[in-house]
Amino acid sequence: MAEFPAPQWFEALGRLMAAEGESFRRLGYAEVRFVVAMLDADGKHLHDTAIEIDGYALAHAAALAELPGFDPDFTICASATVWHRMLEEIAHDGRPALRHTLSSLALVGDEMWLESTDQLREDKFYRFNQTLQELLNLSGKLSR
Amino acid sequence: MPTVQIKDEARIGTEARIKLEPSAYLQKLSKTGTPDLAWMSDHGEWGMRAVPGNLGLRLKDIAIGSYGVVPEHGAAHNSMAPRGSSVPSDVPALGFTVNDKAECWADNVMELYEEAVARQWSSARDIPWDELKPLPDDLERAMCQLCTFLTEVEFIAADAPTRWMSRINHDFLEVKLFLATQAMDEARHTDVFRKRALANGGGLGKSSALAELSLKRIFDAGSFSAQTARLHLLGEGFVLTMFRQGEFIAPSRVDQEIFRRCMQDESRHVGYGTMHLRTQLKMRPELAEEVHAELDDAESILLQTFSVPESVEPMAVLMGGGIKNFDHGMELQGNLWRRIVAEYLQRCDSAGLDRRPRCILPTDFGALMAD
Repeated sequence: MAEFPAPQWFEALGRLMAAEGESFRRLGYAEVRFVVAMLDADGKHLHDTAIEIDGYALAHAAALAELPGFDPDFTICASATVWHRMLEEIAHDGRPALRHTLSSLALVGDEMWLESTDQLREDKFYRFNQTLQELLNLSGKLSR
Repeated sequence: MPTVQIKDEARIGTEARIKLEPSAYLQKLSKTGTPDLAWMSDHGEWGMRAVPGNLGLRLKDIAIGSYGVVPEHGAAHNSMAPRGSSVPSDVPALGFTVNDKAECWADNVMELYEEAVARQWSSARDIPWDELKPLPDDLERAMCQLCTFLTEVEFIAADAPTRWMSRINHDFLEVKLFLATQAMDEARHTDVFRKRALANGGGLGKSSALAELSLKRIFDAGSFSAQTARLHLLGEGFVLTMFRQGEFIAPSRVDQEIFRRCMQDESRHVGYGTMHLRTQLKMRPELAEEVHAELDDAESILLQTFSVPESVEPMAVLMGGGIKNFDHGMELQGNLWRRIVAEYLQRCDSAGLDRRPRCILPTDFGALMAD
């Protein structure tokens, strides 16, 4: 089984997203492309995974290095520790703790932050936030 | 086919004061039985076909042919006849006053409208109210005060732009459609914060004269663009950050769900405002001074609003997790204030407005308290 944040791991989430169907339709469609960046303790990028959600489906997941023309709306940056804490909480409770959601962490900005060239494009993180969080929450259904 | 029964059918029209003679067309039709069908030749673009995309048939998909051309100046007939239709010369004008595309358009408005329609939610159905549990008094009071502020200010973003909606030329219908979704969003925000305040034993708190003043200035803005700068760029941008804070400070999943859903809606409104100003300032750079003047005043009122206890303290209590951690809550609030100012200025940048030299919002929250 591929591990976070490998593209194959996100593709598995994509399959779960397709299987969930109605719950994502209920949230409404999303059109967003972004990068999930896992950093080491010194802030060095260990893995950058490019993801595209088109409508109600995860359309694409690939290592950013393989997509030189990929133009993300934003990059979500966090250390391996922070990502793994979120995934552990999801595995345990189906969702992260109240203050460990994508939005809460990105708001405080010390453990997780967004990078973008344009605030208007960064705002897509908020416009589609529930979809992004629900997508990650599906990881609780992945076999470990 | 069974005949439809209408009660007292014989009485219908017996006291009517106006009687219309059948038109020449109907008389001819009755006499000859031959349909006119001239209207069939008024389809200027017969044979064109909009193609649905993977998410259905959206506004951008039907932006084809003459219908798809959004003119720089709205049609002089000033009616609701749609673009691309054959318009009779005698349509009555509705007196639209916003007749230039530059005054209202944003290049993302079709996308935002469809997104809004697709992402609607119900405060009755989609919030897990049954998970609401009693909170310590200080947290409940703080949450209720915050909800009071939000339910007080949110509907301005429905009331104010819809005053202009009826004045916007119908050739810019997509803007009106988006504003209609914004009004629906704000109706939901207004109702959900009232529901939250009343659902857990707290009730509504203290309203604010300064908040009301800021609403009045938005309401009274002299032009749609002036209103957009105040409302969408500063006001909604500020509330967007509050919603994000709300999700962070949420003491329960109910509160988290409310704030997250409101946050999604609000970011669409900010997206429209930012893009509208960008379009506008590109086409009418001279407008920058008017926008700056609006923001000078709006920033000043915002600072005054955040100089009274009922605005400052609920957030600090919620962020600190109770009155006992008030200092820590204030510290967190200071960090978040920097974010509010930073994102506001970045949105101004994105709109093409160099606001930094004129901005009176201090980046340091502590500066609000210094002599």
